[in-house]
Amino acid sequence: MAKNSGSSMSKALVRRETIAGYAFMLPSLLFFLGFVIYPMVQCVFTSFFDATMNREDIFIGFANYVELFQDKVFLGALKNTVIIVVVSVPVTCIFSLWVSSVIYDLAGPACSAFRCIFYLPVVTGSVAVAVVWKWMFNNYYGIFNYIGTSTGLIEKNINWLGDEKFALGCIILILLTTSVGQPIVLYVSALNNVDQSLVEAAEVDGATKFQCFWKIKWAQIMPTTLYILVITTINSFQCFALIQLLTSGGPNHSTDTIMYYIYYNAFKLYRYGYGNAMGVVLAIIIALLSAVQFKMTESK
Amino acid sequence: MKKRKVMALALSCVMVCSLAACGGKDSGADQTTADPAPAPAEKTEAPAEKTEAPAEKTEASTEAAAPADTAQAADITLWTYPVGKWGDSAVVDGLIANFNAVYPDIHVTVEYLDYTNGDDQINTAIEGKQAPDLVLEGPERLVANWGAKGLMVDLADLWTDEAKSLIYDSVQSACKGSDGVFYEYPLCMTAHTMAINRDIFEAADALQYLDEETGTWTTENFQKAVQAVYDYGQTNVGAVYCSGQGGDQGTRALVNNLYGGTFTNAEHTEYTANSEENVKALELLKSMDGINFDASIAGGDEVNMFCNGTFAMAFCWNATQEKNNQDQGNINFEVLPMAFPSEDGRPQLCGGIWGFGIFDNGDAAKIQAAKTFIDFMANDEKQAVESVKASNFWPVKDLGDIYAGDELMTEYAKFVEYMGDYYQVVGGWAEARTAWWNMLQQIGSGADVKTAVEEFVTTANAAATAAQ
Repeated sequence: MAKNSGSSMSKALVRRETIAGYAFMLPSLLFFLGFVIYPMVQCVFTSFFDATMNREDIFIGFANYVELFQDKVFLGALKNTVIIVVVSVPVTCIFSLWVSSVIYDLAGPACSAFRCIFYLPVVTGSVAVAVVWKWMFNNYYGIFNYIGTSTGLIEKNINWLGDEKFALGCIILILLTTSVGQPIVLYVSALNNVDQSLVEAAEVDGATKFQCFWKIKWAQIMPTTLYILVITTINSFQCFALIQLLTSGGPNHSTDTIMYYIYYNAFKLYRYGYGNAMGVVLAIIIALLSAVQFKMTESK
Repeated sequence: MKKRKVMALALSCVMVCSLAACGGKDSGADQTTADPAPAPAEKTEAPAEKTEAPAEKTEASTEAAAPADTAQAADITLWTYPVGKWGDSAVVDGLIANFNAVYPDIHVTVEYLDYTNGDDQINTAIEGKQAPDLVLEGPERLVANWGAKGLMVDLADLWTDEAKSLIYDSVQSACKGSDGVFYEYPLCMTAHTMAINRDIFEAADALQYLDEETGTWTTENFQKAVQAVYDYGQTNVGAVYCSGQGGDQGTRALVNNLYGGTFTNAEHTEYTANSEENVKALELLKSMDGINFDASIAGGDEVNMFCNGTFAMAFCWNATQEKNNQDQGNINFEVLPMAFPSEDGRPQLCGGIWGFGIFDNGDAAKIQAAKTFIDFMANDEKQAVESVKASNFWPVKDLGDIYAGDELMTEYAKFVEYMGDYYQVVGGWAEARTAWWNMLQQIGSGADVKTAVEEFVTTANAAATAAQ
């Protein structure tokens, strides 16, 4: 009898705790459902329609997807996006790991100062960043041309953002400066959390600095690396503001990215269905790449 | 335990009550904001203005004032693009105070847009069923875009026979959609010009190639002038800017004028930029020393670079550009506004027309109030002058010499007579604009001019067909 009473008491307690747990989750859940899940479903749904402003949507099945892979501008945008990701993700990770490993054991204020410096572009608004870089890249009086011509590195001014040979590289460079801040802060924190006793033991056993890093520190910061890889990949895929503010996808579509092309189709041409189809393709690519990154880092 | 539950319940009640109180306060605050005549000062002014108003009303304004009798209390929203000082809240507040002096029961809330994000803001609002009641912009948006999509109110009752007899024909046709419905009631207009740095031209002895009095020059003299300035040492004479659509009317007007080409047919149903004249013009520009096809700058950048002396001429120019840049102290040389060069010296300038449109939000009272607002701003004899002057442009009907004594505006007034066809109402305009600057970028990178122009026309006409 007492046992039964105890069991029912515990069941009631579990139920109450469960209800309380769900109640605490409810606000976030509602937010998640309303602002993430619902738009995702809506995006997939709309991608099967010819949808535009102030007109009934017309169901067209996979026609938007078929058109996508015949659209030269989209394929060019996809290629540019892949180039941005392939260059920017490893460079961001390697550069931020290098900077972090140099600054993480500096004295407190020095380390903080470096973290602030590298984090500054992250918290600066995209418009301000774009304006400054646009001035530096200016064809007529930009600082890069000034330094280049006065040191003899270049013969004449280069139209950095107006020449398709250079424009995408310039965008990647700007993207790097705004991308390394967060990984550096995360790596500094992760490196500080590495178990020093293991490092010291390895050093006593005669391990070199590189061996200490590769065999001990690298293994321990792997979860941070995975996180950085995933967020940098997603951010690189979603490169939009810099393109819109600096090149509008030009010259000759050389800086078009999928995100910018989605914006152009959805907001300039009112082709909502087509824009959504691109969004779905982009989401699938990001999901696949993230899964691969998870697998690769898991296996290590 | 019970005591704690009671306490918790009591606290919850207090929180709910406080939230409710906050809500009540907010709505109260909203109501206060929505009050059309919140400031006593305005109210005291109102009767005085009211007594003046009827006395000053002419026949035109009597008809214009007709809706006033039926004007009901309403809260309306006006979203305005930066059309001169219509983008300046201090000026617009004054204009609305004038309106509220006569119509105290109509409250107007203004939102200021810019040309970078304004379209996105309005489109987002349309999709969210939150479109503004009134918008101040040009026919390419009000008529060819939102009007064609069935989002705007038919303004036929504002377009009375009298209004039609007063407003210039070219403006009238631009305010009417292809379905014959008036989606815009115009307020002001301008002719976009180009400008030269007179000091540099003088130093290069290039003034001999242009007619300073009429502000015109021939294509042949334009070439000679550019060459003279280039030879003088100003290697960046001008730029065919093409990084985006900003200020693209300048590059279109330049290309069309050089050899008399057109951008569309007269019916505004087809793009005709692939004519021999336009190809010849683009080939000429590409071959000229000192003219750069620059894919890193748009119209706004070009204006800045003209003002700071980087370029000796600007293709994206008008009276407001000069006024604003002079006011801000950005110019330290003499600016000479010029029409675009043409073979016969008779240019066809690209016009700008701005006016009001009303989004059909399904609320008859708001639509009526919006019409009352338009009527007051554009037709009231005294107010119309103020409204037009706020734009720094010219009226769309004869309001007399509203800029008497203003040297700058008088100088620019001579270009209004050169205003050409307002073709920006062709279907697929948004896509055609993008295709235009993409085409210029291709030519700048060395693509064959004829091929690039044909590609542009194919893209633009496909967009025009799709829009029908």
